[in-house]
Amino acid sequence: MSALARPAAGTPQADAAWDRRRVFLANLRSVGGRAYPRVHGLFREPSWVLFEILLPFLTTSAFVFVYRALQAPPQYVGFVVLGGAMTAFWLNVIWMMAAQLYWEKDQGNLELYFASPVDMMSVLFGMAVGGLIMSSTRAAVVLAVGAVVYGVTFTVDQWGLLLLVFFLTLAALYGLGMMLSSLFVLWGREAWHLTQLLQEPVYFVSGLNFPVGRLGFLGALAVAIIPLAVGLDAMRQLAFAGALGPTGTPPPEIEALILVAMAVAFTWMARVMLRILERLAREKGRLSARWR
Amino acid sequence: MSEPHLAPAIDVRGVQRVYQAKPKDVVALAGVDLRVEPGELFGLLGPNGAGKTTLIKILTTLLLPTAGTASVFGFDVAADAKRIRRIMNMVAGGEQSGYGILTVREQLWMFSQFYGLGRREGWRRVDELIEAVGLAEQRVQRVSELSTGQRQKMNLARGLLNDPWILFLDEPTLGLDVSAARTVRELVVEWRAAVPGRTVLLTTHYMAEADELCDRLAIVDRGRILAEGTPVELKRRVQRESVFRLELDRLAGGAAALAALPGVVRAATMSDGAGEVGRERQSVVVNLVLDDDAALGGVVGALGGLGARIVALQKSEPSLEDVFVELVGRGFDDEAVHHGERPGPPPATLAEMTHDTEEAEPLGSEVTR
Amino acid sequence: MTARATAIPAAFDPGRAEGRGSADTARGFVTAALLGWRMEANWTDPLLFFIYSVAKPVASALILVFMLEVIAGPGARDLRSFVIVGSALWAFVMSGMAGLAWSVLDDRERYRMLKYVYVSPSDFLVLLVGRGVARIAIGAMGALIVLAVGVVFLGLRFDPGAVDWAMLGLVLLVGLAAIVALGVILAAVCMQTRQESWSYPEAVAGALFLLVGAVFPLAVLPLPAQAAGLALPLTWWLEGVRMALFPGGRSAIGGEGSLWTAWTGSAAPDGGAIVGTLLATSLMITLVAAAAFRVSERRAKDRGLIDRTTGS
Repeated sequence: MSALARPAAGTPQADAAWDRRRVFLANLRSVGGRAYPRVHGLFREPSWVLFEILLPFLTTSAFVFVYRALQAPPQYVGFVVLGGAMTAFWLNVIWMMAAQLYWEKDQGNLELYFASPVDMMSVLFGMAVGGLIMSSTRAAVVLAVGAVVYGVTFTVDQWGLLLLVFFLTLAALYGLGMMLSSLFVLWGREAWHLTQLLQEPVYFVSGLNFPVGRLGFLGALAVAIIPLAVGLDAMRQLAFAGALGPTGTPPPEIEALILVAMAVAFTWMARVMLRILERLAREKGRLSARWR
Repeated sequence: MSEPHLAPAIDVRGVQRVYQAKPKDVVALAGVDLRVEPGELFGLLGPNGAGKTTLIKILTTLLLPTAGTASVFGFDVAADAKRIRRIMNMVAGGEQSGYGILTVREQLWMFSQFYGLGRREGWRRVDELIEAVGLAEQRVQRVSELSTGQRQKMNLARGLLNDPWILFLDEPTLGLDVSAARTVRELVVEWRAAVPGRTVLLTTHYMAEADELCDRLAIVDRGRILAEGTPVELKRRVQRESVFRLELDRLAGGAAALAALPGVVRAATMSDGAGEVGRERQSVVVNLVLDDDAALGGVVGALGGLGARIVALQKSEPSLEDVFVELVGRGFDDEAVHHGERPGPPPATLAEMTHDTEEAEPLGSEVTR
Repeated sequence: MTARATAIPAAFDPGRAEGRGSADTARGFVTAALLGWRMEANWTDPLLFFIYSVAKPVASALILVFMLEVIAGPGARDLRSFVIVGSALWAFVMSGMAGLAWSVLDDRERYRMLKYVYVSPSDFLVLLVGRGVARIAIGAMGALIVLAVGVVFLGLRFDPGAVDWAMLGLVLLVGLAAIVALGVILAAVCMQTRQESWSYPEAVAGALFLLVGAVFPLAVLPLPAQAAGLALPLTWWLEGVRMALFPGGRSAIGGEGSLWTAWTGSAAPDGGAIVGTLLATSLMITLVAAAAFRVSERRAKDRGLIDRTTGS
């Protein structure tokens, strides 16, 4: 028997009828499959250690020194360090998730994904998992080294809530990334510039380096719709408990609920957007760059 | 969905596909009907822009038809896309898709996961396929370092990972050299032999490839199927006469002697440039057009009376391009020149397998009855 | 099929293998610049292009302005001007540095044209610089808009009559060469790295942001970091542009606690020192860039990196 094939066990119709368990397992495996190149790519191209971790740490340091030049209270340095750590996740979301399907389409991989029997959400989730390793490393380095080098003191009263808020922030962020990935494919060339637009402007309205409450209405709006803003604010309130005074933003418990709503909403919208994407792409023939 | 055991592998009814474009919409498929039975290797043969890829995209659930219906093993391409994806796979030619940073083994394993294979089962299957397609030496080489032929073998291995009931091959030998193209074709043949009952839909604009591989094929042009049948049936459509090429040691009386024989429509001698260097030409080559194949017996018998001995005898058949020209009024090359493209090089088997009398040496004399 | 006319091949002219020197260089540069502009300006949505070109640098400036507001309140006008100007100019620096690197990645990964560009007779480095010019122009536009926003909305005081135009022109010209040189170094790095290097230019720009006195005086930094900053042409470029546009403003290089003041005894460098040091450091970085690019190019050829595609 040639190794090219295996003896067929049933009929095509029987083979096409996967039960729920098989569907679940296939999607779970595709998460691991898609995370694989991300994870192994890290070890094969080690330049990211310099460019994705060390240099960004220096960028964060620049903002620390701005506050030092202003002789700001020490907790503001902590704001910058925490903001710098969370930036890692935001950048991962917009570059390695939101823009990723657009790059996949460019490379000719997107149509292969759509032609496979697994859900695109699994593929996106695999991308997220793979990217988390790099961004978690970056965040940890910025946080740890920043705290040590710049003498940041964290005052945490509710560790459980802090960790919960952190994970909810990640869930909301990556849900947003999944939603944006479909939009980016539909918007085509503009995806590149949307990614740019989602950096500094979002840093500003999210209060990356200062309390978002100081932005007034704009800050309130950001807290309502941008996971980075609400997550960062909640984490600041919890990590520097008692050091901030009135922030002008909701308490962390309320912000945690906002994050839950965001995570659910973005993930649901991601699913809807992916279905719309697939339907539109199949109607208009936009899944591949080569095939027209 | 039709009765499972009766469902054709592919059933296309009145499928149309229109792309919105400026200044005018593009009609890629103008109403296509097609039926492919399970176990067939069915070819779609046509020039660039004929609609072959559009049809494959519809059948592989990447594109919706604008009108009409299409199903794969009874599953509708619009409504049952998920089921179709579980039992099919596709391989396209001329592509650079893949993650350059992964090795061949890793790239294939990743896709095995997308098709639901278990982790270990995936590695095992990948290793089997790597051996089978002849990439054992490249198994830990990065995808970005593969040659075009190696990459296509890898793509083919990817296409077989989930042991599909139907395999869609969209110009799988595009851009490959003769040897690599032959290897890909051989692998397809080997796979079909290993699992009888699997179906293949192949699109190509290489006629020899279609001739070599396909059980049946359809000739496509400008979004329509012009003709459908086995390669032999299609050629018979245009071959109204029986044409033979005879090489004789001598021919007293020349072509006129042959033209006078019963059943011979016309005979023409050709200059034979096939002699060895330094050797005097000994043979005479004659093109014979007969009423039908049955007349050949009489001719062969009469040749003895003329003192001629047959050195070689070959029946000339029209090529699939002849079929295309007959149906459309222009050749594939004409089409390519018209669009400013260069036609691709024909695989070596074309020259070996077909004989186009129009490309023969100039006639020394021609006699028509 | 129509018969094709058969041209009688002419004898090989060895002169064809000779270039035309500066004429070829100029043509290559202009063509690459036009190509770069077409690619940058080919928007299906010009509004989005405008928003992105403006919003990014304006937001960067606003982040810093708000940091000031939070701590120092509305009274720190002097520092606010310092920050706005530095932020505006930094947007220009980032565009210049990223332009060349992204051209390498774009051409290699997306358009797969890098190999064709490379084997053409035009100098590859000249073509790359030409491609980057469009993005530099966009960065310049962003910088001007931020300055305008600063003047109109953020209280930045600007007196055209007080501008030292000669110094401004000289400093901009020399600084542009330095920025392009940094971009060449980054392009050299990206020729060796994989697709995910899109973020590298911004990472490098962000790191340099710490050392060049863009948004805070160098005196705040530890002495070794100040020394590193003083060795960079961008530090002197920023200082020179600030001095030319806003004479009498705060110095990023000098001041109490600064290495410059400790070394020279002067509160801040004068125009001559700025221009001279800018010239010297720019020359250094240009030489380093040229060397780095050639080394990278050779390594890329050796390892077949010019026409590879990567991706994860």
